[in-house]
Amino acid sequence: MQADEMIPRSHVSAMSSSSAMPSSSAVPMADSAPATRKVTGRLALWKVMPLACAIALLTCLASLLWGAGQVGPMQALKALMGQGSEEARFVVYELRAPRTLIGIVVGMMLACGGALMQVVARNPLAEPGLLGVSAGASFAVAVALLLGIEAAGMHVIVAQSGALLGCLFVMSTVRVRGARQDPVRLVLAGAALSSLLVALTSLVLLIDQRAADEIRFWVVGSLAGRSLSALYHCLPSLLLAVVLTLWLARPLAALVLGEQVASGLGHRPERVRQITILVVALLVGAATALAGPVAFVGLAVPYVARALCGADIRRTLWLCLPLGVTMLLTADVISRLVVPPSELPLGVLTTLLGAPVLIAVVRARRLPTL
Amino acid sequence: MPETKLYRSPTFCSAVSTPTSPLSIASAPAGTLWWRWGAVSLLVYRAPLLAACGLLAALLMSSLASLTLGSAGLDLLDALKAIFGIGEFMHVFVVQELRLPRLLAGMGTGAAFALAGCLMQTLAGNRLATPGIIGIDNGATAFAVASVVGLGASIAPPAMALSGAVVAMALAFGLSGGIGTRGYRFLVAGIGVGALFGAGTQLMLARVSIDVANNAYPWTVGSLNARDANSVIWLGIAMLIGLPLALWLGRGLNTLRFTDRVATGLGLPVARMRLMILWLSVVLTAAAVAVAGPVGMVALVGPEIARYLSRHKGVPLLASALAGALVMVLADLAGRTLLSPLEVPVGIVMAVVGSPYLLWILLRSPR
Amino acid sequence: MSVDAKQYSPAQQDCASHLSLAPTLKTDALTLGYGVRKQRVKVIDGLTLGLPDGKVTAIVGPNGCGKSTLLAGLARLQLPESGSVLLEGKDIQHLKRRDVAQRIALLPQETHSPEGVTVHELVRFGRQPHQGALSQWSQQDQSVVTAAMVAADIESLSERELSSMSGGQRQRAWIAMALAQQTPLLLLDEPTSALDLGHQIEVFELIQRLAHVEDKTIVMVVHDLASACRYADHLVAMHAGRVIAEGPPAEVVTPALVRQLYGVECRLIPDPDTGTPLLIGVRRTHERLSGSAT
Repeated sequence: MQADEMIPRSHVSAMSSSSAMPSSSAVPMADSAPATRKVTGRLALWKVMPLACAIALLTCLASLLWGAGQVGPMQALKALMGQGSEEARFVVYELRAPRTLIGIVVGMMLACGGALMQVVARNPLAEPGLLGVSAGASFAVAVALLLGIEAAGMHVIVAQSGALLGCLFVMSTVRVRGARQDPVRLVLAGAALSSLLVALTSLVLLIDQRAADEIRFWVVGSLAGRSLSALYHCLPSLLLAVVLTLWLARPLAALVLGEQVASGLGHRPERVRQITILVVALLVGAATALAGPVAFVGLAVPYVARALCGADIRRTLWLCLPLGVTMLLTADVISRLVVPPSELPLGVLTTLLGAPVLIAVVRARRLPTL
Repeated sequence: MPETKLYRSPTFCSAVSTPTSPLSIASAPAGTLWWRWGAVSLLVYRAPLLAACGLLAALLMSSLASLTLGSAGLDLLDALKAIFGIGEFMHVFVVQELRLPRLLAGMGTGAAFALAGCLMQTLAGNRLATPGIIGIDNGATAFAVASVVGLGASIAPPAMALSGAVVAMALAFGLSGGIGTRGYRFLVAGIGVGALFGAGTQLMLARVSIDVANNAYPWTVGSLNARDANSVIWLGIAMLIGLPLALWLGRGLNTLRFTDRVATGLGLPVARMRLMILWLSVVLTAAAVAVAGPVGMVALVGPEIARYLSRHKGVPLLASALAGALVMVLADLAGRTLLSPLEVPVGIVMAVVGSPYLLWILLRSPR
Repeated sequence: MSVDAKQYSPAQQDCASHLSLAPTLKTDALTLGYGVRKQRVKVIDGLTLGLPDGKVTAIVGPNGCGKSTLLAGLARLQLPESGSVLLEGKDIQHLKRRDVAQRIALLPQETHSPEGVTVHELVRFGRQPHQGALSQWSQQDQSVVTAAMVAADIESLSERELSSMSGGQRQRAWIAMALAQQTPLLLLDEPTSALDLGHQIEVFELIQRLAHVEDKTIVMVVHDLASACRYADHLVAMHAGRVIAEGPPAEVVTPALVRQLYGVECRLIPDPDTGTPLLIGVRRTHERLSGSAT
């Protein structure tokens, strides 16, 4: 009798339970105020870009000059000028130059992959490394290794497929639940996926009786000992990714305004999103095949790029290129210098550089929305 | 509705003000057990107690399985005899020197991890807030690894693990706004802290020779192989003090599940309570990490099983500890036997089992 | 559900005894604020207020006037910057938490009920200030819990889980918990927010009954001035951290006060049933209209 009387009022309970939610979870809700404020403070792209390129070139030079081995910066400089010992020339041209080149490409790919993923997830924390995309790529490679697929060109395609699967999984979680309203939740889901894939990768490599060093490569990432041929295998997919990105830039910029607005402007949001995910997978998969999973580059670089010249993806992507190179090569150079003659894994250094950015983003009073 | 009349009669007043009201003979409320010995009166939820009993039985069974199964198969009787030093020398050696210490270490770490997880979850009001996720495991590991490979083994791993855990805890909570922090945001700050410490561990491993690094590798993912006896003893001490303390705090913990205002209104010293729970959780985690490395998933899975089995009645501390021990023993057993002769570190087994579960919680729960 | 027709008009209930005695709960030059040093905001500034015993006191005022902060200060949830809250003549900060919890029960605005908690369990939590680690349950506890549930009219749902109940039922369960604390004082922060009209009336009538029959002192923050006029014996009108009017609603509520509090014009007539003031013809004031136009 009492219960019958109460039934029609059930909607009240829904209301009160939603109001009783912890207020902190409601804080990251979209609010356009900070974005509009930032517009006034940002710099024009043409002012920032030359400086960023100059810094990137400097880090490239540093990457050629400094190393873990015997050849010091002065010897390397001489070798670059065409003088110096045979040994120095070998080290600079045959070891450091390819490594630097790979570093440049990996840095660009990871930074752009991160920027694109953040736009499509509309979440400043969406980073391929954090969300398990890189881990998906390295898991796929580990499985391929276990199955005995050793052909050099295959690694790239396998890694890209793995990245695509990881990407699709994480992005589907965005659509499943309130992750759209709560950017932080996506990161947790990504961390869970990531830890699962890392564990599986370790397991597969353990079964395959690989050395701990190689396991560590596919779990942490490194630029050491990669040959240029690996880079050549990436080029076709890289080209495809560049073409697609150029085509995507305008619709993505519209998508930032919201799905309905983008459709109103004549774009097809669903198609744009799918292609973007494909591009992210191509970029991150190739980067992982080259350097193993390297986390936090895709978070820190776009974050800095946006802070410098605003959230428009067309500007962010351009700035991501030199900044990505700078961050990756800086991390790589430090990794060679800290404990000579051995090297640190690259992923360790990028984590040390990038994790504070993650904390800074989360600490911000309002998460900036994309 | 005859009973609604009651509130207008003055019975409520008298029932409330006079202790010997003739309302009815006292009995245990539904779903609880009530014991009285003289002035002492205890009220316990029935479901968590039953869950604890069931888990204890399962733990005993899996312990026996863990003692008998392995590369040298023993039958049950031999294994039981060998515990007390009776039987063939080989059997006694395998059981007393290898399997029993490992089993005890597994039970201890599992229980400590899960208890710490249950405390931290209650503290943060979030079932995802386990020490592992907010980076405390990684902090403890980094410092313990430092003591093993980096700085020379001059400082005991448990002490180093504890200081690492404290630093990570201070960072995770300090960076996200205090002990009472709720919500998902501080979890991600913790993930960042954990990533930093994880990188630090790798950094130290890269400094040492490849052999040492290879030896330390299973430990960094969590394994019962690299334990040292001293750390196990410290873990035992931590559990002997921590478990009763946690149970003593249990009533307050129960109240802490409501909002701070409600808990304060009921006379609970909320701030002091939080601090005690936090310290207890950190100490337990550190002691467990010093033995087995970062097997943080136990801290998520154990309490979850305990809560499910005890039907969400109260904060199931005892059941959590038992469930954690059970899960750890089973995971270690699986890691030892499933891919034999290959031994999979227990941390990897737990991550493979626990991560999908974590994902499921994240994608399913409405809050 | 109809209650018997007896009405408790404030005049009948007033035994005049409370007026001569010092109130149990009062504030003395209380200043409350939040924030740290530079961004320190004083929400309540030097407030001296006595809350009459055995009556329903409603605190009203516009958003952000410090109503809820005052309530938090009264319940010792917030440390005063200066001044004090006096409970039975003693500074509440110097009392033990448990002693305060035995005298003041608080029902916060936002209540979060953990999974799996039933009404009976919730009400049992109210007994905590009277229990100890080794005396967790007694016959008295049981009779008080039952009586509290009966008083809040929630006894028939005692084994239902809170999460499966409607807002009104849940609110009554929380009130039952506060009652089980057996405190002479009951502080309620917007007890009827998120309730529909029927449930609002139910809760307000319960509150009135508790004050007038059980002789409890009730202090509630109320958003709606009309309900405050109807159900409170004593009204405290706050504006910008200060009390601007205090007394029985019929005496203090005037069109001028309403204008000052909310910036609206209205007329007041006595309620034909209860004699309490009734707001009619509420509209924006002229100044406000012209102010917004410029």
